[in-house]
Amino acid sequence: MAVNRNVVDRALAVLRTLPRVSLYNLKDHEHRKKRSARGQHGGGTHGHGKKFRQNYLPLGFESGNTPFHLRFGMEKYYKRYRLEREYPPVSLLMLQKMIDTNRLDTTQPIDLSSICNSGVYSMNINFNHHGVNLTDEEGFDQFCAKINIEVQWASEGAIAAIERNGGVITTSYYDPLCLHAVTDPARFFLKGDPIPKRMIPPEDAIEYYSSADNRGYLADPEKVSLARLALAQKYGYELPKIEDDPDYTMLTMRKDPRQIFYGLEPGWVVSLKDKAILKPKDKELLEYYRT
Amino acid sequence: MLQNISKLFRNCGHRFLLPKFPMSTLESIESNPLDSELVPPSSSLAKSQNFKRKLEFMPPNMEPKQAWLENLNTTDEEKISILELHPQVFGSMPRIDVIHKNVRWQTLYGRMDLRQAASRAELPGGGRKPWPQKGLGRARHGSNRSPLFYNGGKAHGPRAPKSYFYMLPYDLRVLGLTTTLSVKLAQDDLHIVESLDIPTDDQQYIEELVQARMWGPSVLFVDEQDVMPENITKATENTRHFNLMPAYGLNVFSMLKHDTLVLTLAALNRIEHQLLLNIHRNKNGKHQFRYMPSHH
Repeated sequence: MAVNRNVVDRALAVLRTLPRVSLYNLKDHEHRKKRSARGQHGGGTHGHGKKFRQNYLPLGFESGNTPFHLRFGMEKYYKRYRLEREYPPVSLLMLQKMIDTNRLDTTQPIDLSSICNSGVYSMNINFNHHGVNLTDEEGFDQFCAKINIEVQWASEGAIAAIERNGGVITTSYYDPLCLHAVTDPARFFLKGDPIPKRMIPPEDAIEYYSSADNRGYLADPEKVSLARLALAQKYGYELPKIEDDPDYTMLTMRKDPRQIFYGLEPGWVVSLKDKAILKPKDKELLEYYRT
Repeated sequence: MLQNISKLFRNCGHRFLLPKFPMSTLESIESNPLDSELVPPSSSLAKSQNFKRKLEFMPPNMEPKQAWLENLNTTDEEKISILELHPQVFGSMPRIDVIHKNVRWQTLYGRMDLRQAASRAELPGGGRKPWPQKGLGRARHGSNRSPLFYNGGKAHGPRAPKSYFYMLPYDLRVLGLTTTLSVKLAQDDLHIVESLDIPTDDQQYIEELVQARMWGPSVLFVDEQDVMPENITKATENTRHFNLMPAYGLNVFSMLKHDTLVLTLAALNRIEHQLLLNIHRNKNGKHQFRYMPSHH
């Protein structure tokens, strides 16, 4: 509820003419009074009569005939629901707005952590949300920012819009354990757990993330550059040369397939209290985290 | 909304008569534009210090509120400078209902009801059937401690311990503070001083000062830290109507209980900064709250 500034000022001006607000002249708004169980209908026995005691019939009982919920066989609509990954969308218009309102820093690579930290996007890992789906439904024509962005799913139009402006887009997969760290890094670092290593995508996702057309993080970089050219021809724009760009180093920053945070390797422990990073020295641990 | 406010005051009895206010702060600003005449040449502050405050989270179309910076080292007030105050903290909508909720919460959350009425099981005796079931022509009873009996147990009486603890939503508490500060400023009950340093530790000095400046009978002095200058501590020690408080202790109940609120510049900066941070903090995703009042 947004109140007009003029109304606020008038209200404060009116207060000047009124007695001092003190502990003895405060009042809350009136709230609806609770209806108490009184009266013939709804009171006392709450509509169940006085002669017979509790005789609850089973829920859904239809006085003898097979109830509706038992008439039909089981329909396993949700049989594999836990395997169905969801990607709450962010449109190109939304992304542009976030950049324009300084909620995202375009001088650094944008990944799921920065989008979650902006405060405008929310996802729930418990609902099988696995990250950002960048759509081109809205904002395809308006998008004009040059960014290095890493999302979890991207439509072809979204990829085209970003590359047209000289940016770089990558799609990558985070398994649910890593998502807890990525979506709320502050909370994760407070725990003091070692940074987990990213697992490879599940079987039905590997093809998507290995494909250059989707700019997958497991795809061959040469095929990705070919795909960039092909997309530019398809959508009819001239592909800007990233090599000549002054932000070349920023735009080509990419995470290792096992890496979650830029600049931090899996296995490291970040101690916020001591303001230090602890790195493992044991051979087995190093081998585990580096492969 | 305006009608609501005036209705509140019409319905509740006027406990305090409207005292004669000196020329209000805003009127004095309009009629006396700030120039060197306002700052007495004797004051050491006349020469140097720049009291221009930088307000955080200020959109370009928002206008700040203004208040005088006063002194405490003389009985009569000397206006040193005009300070700009953030409108979302000192000029927000006067929500009397939110103030009421905060005051109710502050008075109730520590309340513990330890009353207990003995039930029929807790009273002595009452195990034997008082008289036979049939034959006497009397009503049938099983125990002489049943609620029907005189001196019997209480059926649904108070059962200790009963706690009235609840937490008012965080945003409502923040709104309570901003609204109360706005109300105080609007009703000329807010004064900002440079520091709580006074020349003597005499209680008489403070009493004369408050009298001369027509500040309310009770005054709450708020500084940033909880260690106060020696003189004012001694001067206000034996009075229960002049109280010293650190900024972290600021609360709606105390602000309303005391008629006048006096903030030091340091306390003002701290309070404004903390409240603005909490108004503008991240409220989405994991940090969502059910009630999110808007700050105007």
